[in-house]
Amino acid sequence: MRTSEQYKKEIHLTGRIGLLITIVILIAVPIIICSVYDIFPTFKQFMLSASGLLAIFVPLTISEVISFTPLLGSAAYLTFITGNIMNLKFPCAKGAMDVAGVTPGTEKADVIATLSVGVSSMLTILVIAAGVLLLVPLRPILELPAIKTATDYMLPSLFGALALSLLRSTGEVQVKNVWMAGIVPFVLILVINLFVYSLVGLEGVALLLMIPLTILFAKILHKRGIIKVSYLEDKGELE
Amino acid sequence: MTYFDVANSSIVYLLVIAVIVFVFVLSAIFTRKAWKRGIELGFEKDLLKRVVKQSLVFTLVPSIAIVIGLFALAPALGIPWPWLRLSVIGSVSYELMAADMAASGMNMTLAQASSGGPEALGNIMIVMTVGIMAGMVMLLFFGKGIMNKVSKLSQSKSDFAHVVMACFMVALAAVFVPGILAKGVIYILTFATSLAVTAVQAVVIQKFKVNWLKDFVLSFSLVIGMASSILWTAVIG
Repeated sequence: MRTSEQYKKEIHLTGRIGLLITIVILIAVPIIICSVYDIFPTFKQFMLSASGLLAIFVPLTISEVISFTPLLGSAAYLTFITGNIMNLKFPCAKGAMDVAGVTPGTEKADVIATLSVGVSSMLTILVIAAGVLLLVPLRPILELPAIKTATDYMLPSLFGALALSLLRSTGEVQVKNVWMAGIVPFVLILVINLFVYSLVGLEGVALLLMIPLTILFAKILHKRGIIKVSYLEDKGELE
Repeated sequence: MTYFDVANSSIVYLLVIAVIVFVFVLSAIFTRKAWKRGIELGFEKDLLKRVVKQSLVFTLVPSIAIVIGLFALAPALGIPWPWLRLSVIGSVSYELMAADMAASGMNMTLAQASSGGPEALGNIMIVMTVGIMAGMVMLLFFGKGIMNKVSKLSQSKSDFAHVVMACFMVALAAVFVPGILAKGVIYILTFATSLAVTAVQAVVIQKFKVNWLKDFVLSFSLVIGMASSILWTAVIG
């Protein structure tokens, strides 16, 4: 059996090579298309279109990496390569961790999340490919008002399904009452959303600020004995 | 050649298919490595199979929603480019926003982009690609460091290290849930329905020992929550 260090070395190597190749080929695709059809934009055109987008997307995507990587472990490589993080890959990995009863941050959780994101990514690719192939017959069905409404409300359904799982710990280490540390950040974000500015689409940046705040409140509550940590016997799968 | 001649050309299709095949193979490699390591760590095959089953069942509904996102992007960008972006790197919510911003930089809406000719398409493709790259570059250079720090934290004997790990999940809920609730009554009711369905399933599992249900909790709650939004929309409007 490989040691933990050997596995980590191997998975990081695979992840980083995979990421590097993906970055190169993703950049190559539009460059090849623009070269073949001679449709390169001028630098001025590019900057006019890119400046606003870069101002939003650079901090957003960087903060997503900082916020989600600790939760996903080495599954983050494939998660960021295949995208659809918050609406599919993260909930899928979290659900898998709950089924396996593993604690996020551990090697077991890494493995379960990677397995989950791996099969999820393959199925998503196949479903989208089927959608492209069956575009004509599928379109009228998938654009029915009821289906449209249901998909518009996918995110509240997803978070309703995930909320309990996010607020209570799973696995060998149980952190009791940790949800209390999220009360102030929750109220703060709610007030900002309602009365100041809608943070929809900017959650990654908000998350980067709220993680330290949540940890700060958790520290206070932990010192006062309100948040408690207990250790269960490692049973592989918790009942 | 027109904007859509390029957007739906066989060259674009070929390039897109090549990238998607590569990412599919990469996903298979990661899956195989995780499975093998899972066995090495002492997970029973049955449990790993349950994880795979849970993941596949859960993935189905959000994947269909992504296909609907593809339909939304196709009239403005052709089929292959949104196909690539939604299969690799992108997400439904970001892609529409990115394409829209790239078009507005050329003083046009995304729907009007085709009037800019194939040059407008080339510009949108390059801008969308560059725009989303920062996260991947960040992960390439700093991902390993972040993961190693988290690994050390989770192995720490300090109680507070485990509290910190749990805080990441709590912060995630504290950031995303208010944004959803602030959108309106139907959002709140849909969220509440899904939450209630999850709670009911948790009680059923615990009280009646319906262990098979554990693998479907997330999927059932998602589908019932989404279905309830149709009802709430009909009732409240």
